Amino acid sequence: MYCVREVTKDLYWVGANDHRTTLFENIHPIPRGVSYNAYLLLDEQSVLFDTVDWSACRQLLENLEHLLGERALDCLVINHMEPDHGASIEELLRRYPNLKLIATEKAFMLMRQFGFHVDGHELVEVKEGDTCTFGGHTVTFIAAPMVHWPEAMLTFDRANGALFSADAFGSFIALDGKLFNDEVAFDRDWLDEARRYFTNIVGKYGPHVQKLLGKAAGILDQIKFVCPLHGPVWRSDLGYLIDKYDKWSRYAPEEQGVMIAYASMYGNTEAAAQALAARLCEKGCTKVAVYDVSNTHVSYLISEAFKYSHIVLASVTYNLGIYPVMHNFLADMKALNLQNRTFALVENGSWACKSGDLMQKFIDEEMKNMTVLNERLSMASSLHADKAVELDTLADAIMDSMRT
Amino acid sequence: MLFQTTQDHEALRAKLRAFAEREIKPVAFTLDQGNQFPDEAVKKLGEMGLMGIPYPAEYGGAGLDMLSYAIAVEELARVDAGAGVILSAHVSLGSWPIFAYGTQEQKRKYLVPLARGEKIGAFGLTEPNAGSDAGGTETTAVDRGDHYVLNGGKIFITNAPKADTYVVFAVTTPDIGTRGISAFIVEKGWKGFEFGDHYDKMGIRSSTTAELIFNDVKVPKENLLGREGDGFKIAMATLDGGRIGIAAQALGIAQGAYESAVEYAKERVQFGKPIGFQQAISFKLADMATKLRCARLLVYSAADLKERHEPYGMESAMAKQYASDIALEVTNDALQIYGGTGYLKGMDVERMYRDAKITTIYEGTNEIQRVVIASHILGKAPKSEGGSSSRPKKPAPVTGVRKKILFKGDAQESVDALVQALKKDGYDFTVGIPADTPIPQAERVVSAGKGIGPQKNMKLIEALAHAAGAAIGSSRPVAETLKYVSLDRYVGMSGQKFTGNLYIACGISGATQHLKGIKDASTIVAINKNGNAPIFKNCDYGIVGDVNEVLPLLAEALGTGKKQSAPPMVKMKRPQPPRAEPIGPRYICGGCGYEYIPELGDEDAEIAPGTLFEKLPEDWVCPECAEGKHQFIRA
Repeated sequence: MYCVREVTKDLYWVGANDHRTTLFENIHPIPRGVSYNAYLLLDEQSVLFDTVDWSACRQLLENLEHLLGERALDCLVINHMEPDHGASIEELLRRYPNLKLIATEKAFMLMRQFGFHVDGHELVEVKEGDTCTFGGHTVTFIAAPMVHWPEAMLTFDRANGALFSADAFGSFIALDGKLFNDEVAFDRDWLDEARRYFTNIVGKYGPHVQKLLGKAAGILDQIKFVCPLHGPVWRSDLGYLIDKYDKWSRYAPEEQGVMIAYASMYGNTEAAAQALAARLCEKGCTKVAVYDVSNTHVSYLISEAFKYSHIVLASVTYNLGIYPVMHNFLADMKALNLQNRTFALVENGSWACKSGDLMQKFIDEEMKNMTVLNERLSMASSLHADKAVELDTLADAIMDSMRT
Repeated sequence: MLFQTTQDHEALRAKLRAFAEREIKPVAFTLDQGNQFPDEAVKKLGEMGLMGIPYPAEYGGAGLDMLSYAIAVEELARVDAGAGVILSAHVSLGSWPIFAYGTQEQKRKYLVPLARGEKIGAFGLTEPNAGSDAGGTETTAVDRGDHYVLNGGKIFITNAPKADTYVVFAVTTPDIGTRGISAFIVEKGWKGFEFGDHYDKMGIRSSTTAELIFNDVKVPKENLLGREGDGFKIAMATLDGGRIGIAAQALGIAQGAYESAVEYAKERVQFGKPIGFQQAISFKLADMATKLRCARLLVYSAADLKERHEPYGMESAMAKQYASDIALEVTNDALQIYGGTGYLKGMDVERMYRDAKITTIYEGTNEIQRVVIASHILGKAPKSEGGSSSRPKKPAPVTGVRKKILFKGDAQESVDALVQALKKDGYDFTVGIPADTPIPQAERVVSAGKGIGPQKNMKLIEALAHAAGAAIGSSRPVAETLKYVSLDRYVGMSGQKFTGNLYIACGISGATQHLKGIKDASTIVAINKNGNAPIFKNCDYGIVGDVNEVLPLLAEALGTGKKQSAPPMVKMKRPQPPRAEPIGPRYICGGCGYEYIPELGDEDAEIAPGTLFEKLPEDWVCPECAEGKHQFIRA
């Protein structure tokens, strides 16, 4: 059964929702699913903007057949070649032998690399600032390298104000019938997953996102719809979304608050983390989020690390090193280019306590523009009452650094 | 070609040997034991015209060749290594730079009395952070129009404080590495030029070695040696020649030990014949003699090359390295031949064994000599990474970020300001800990350095410790040499580490090893009369003043009454260390996200670390995906 929604006159959402995939990119859990968005413009020519994951290809085809009727599909614009959007290209090429492809040079290269038989079709290679007319609609292409692949571009339709934004402004969570941002409680139900999507998928490329936001600022007043490849279409409150993107891509925290991530084998480090959380709340900072790194997928940890201004890492010493899961969290923060955070460290070791020094070294040497507070809490096996003063000192140091 | 010295050379040798045997040998043991400079002998050497052997007669020298000079050092060292180095440091280091780089004026004023032996010369290059690597020089000379103002200090300076004339190296242009170093002629007695420790050395104890301290020393413009920025070049050229002197000294020490061992081996009878005729000993002597001959030929040949203005840098390094290496072997074998007798004080081989060691260390360690030799063989390494010589740096104080608030002027006002600041920081002086609290557990420590003066002044420290509610500590020399306190009370990297809150350093200049022992202190207070002492760059609060005056005032201000027992220590907050400033922006590739970091450069493309993105060649491409420079955006 077809499942389409009208975005605006002559423009339709023809994508699909996916609740069966458990791991996005085979790494990030998506318990609430994801949508693969594709958009069909019915002008003098019929134009499809991007395709969908292979698992959703049948739905896309049914949607296209429903809307096209007897018409053929004339053009396919590929903004992003990652297979969750590009995998269905080959099938479309077979079904529509006269299909014209419009993409960047690198996108065509990737199509060939992935084994799609594009040669023999009309291929239009576009770059920044090029335009293309389909009848009443003329679109302009905007290069978006490394957001988050090198071939990526955005397409802007001046006639209806639709910006096809590729992976930018996307989010996890299946649409499940809703399409527009004003049809969901975004800030309440979607923001955490949108942040988790951005930070884990695009987080590393903040400077390129900033560059893109700079370009978007020039046409902001003309944008009526932001049509991303995942998640809702934005037709209101663009300022809210851009503000979030600006913060994330500048690595500026959204909240003055504390994320406490602990690695605890038998609950002793956990107890210290909990005691610290309670102290912070007592002192007036209730924006405290506590996570056990061992049973929290790192993509959630990354998302929270981008959200809060302060991060407490509490880790046991394991094989004279940092507890592996904590180490993995640190490595991921580095990989995703997280910057400008204040860290506090809690270390535990029963015979040779190393984790604090090693975490400090990692943060100082491997990460950018991070501050590690001097007040480190060290414990041997468990936190005893005589360390209450130090625990308090650590909490005070965190509170102090939040004020300055 | 017979590789032989001339008759004149041998006549000079005979003259020197007779002098050394007569004047120095009888007192060599006394000088060694007493750490005494042979004033008499040095004076006589001057009178004999031997303090300026290689310099022309017009400058007061003897007008002899380099080989004669090497022989002179050798002969003195054969009897007393200390006497050898006095001559070597005077001629090669103290006088030669003036001879080679000085103006006519400077030569007349300084070289003539040096060469005549009326004055003694010395050379000030080494600093705590600039040993083999002169690029770390921190002594500064600031241009003030008609004079420079010299500040800083030098360590391990041979002939100081006896010497009258010092060639001193200082930074005139900061942050450009060795090109910013200049050489100056500095006279003893100038205001602000003082001497620190006279070192208690393992060997060469008849030579004097001390620290130079410069506190706003005015150096007239005309005492700049060479041009500004020539300092490093002058230092290196001087050391090239200086190595011949040290090589000759090592040769002399080994020769002396060898001769002594031969004599003993002929006298000492075991198993019915002199031990020299036991094969074990005869082979040793054969090896010693062979090594000596090798060393002598290397030393004399290097001296001869220098005399003939042939390149001699590599050869002098080989001579210094080899002669000193074998000096250790030969003195070791000599002592072994002596057996238990040689292990006793008073035996010349015992002294020579100790004396020899310095020759593999000073005027370029033997490791550095090998670097010099290898560089002559291999040329410059293809890529230079790191190293202070090639890249400027700003060393952080050893103790990290400190407030460095100095109180100067009236002592009472300074003390009041200090006490007010400490109280504001949260120190409660109504409480205290016992003076004998172990240093690692102490919340506060009052520490004495050598600047405290005589032992009776420890009363001042005790009174201050009580008033400050602190335990008593000290610098290493105060515990180890002066023995004012027990060894477990000295603070430093090798001693006890202080990790508490308040550290009050009294008369402590701040040797690096001491500073490393207090780097975790929350607050460091320094009281010292030398405003340029390193401790002031490493303290939160400082009073420049005399401990005799400041300590009683401070004790009074903190309260001399009874103290309550202090509660468990709460560690006070320390400021964050500063971040290293990036040298330039990073750029990110639009083709793959690779980040170009100027500090790292791009090794595979032969882009040196420190290359800014703008300075990359136009045809440089991303090392990961081969996109061109234009695809990069600024991070």
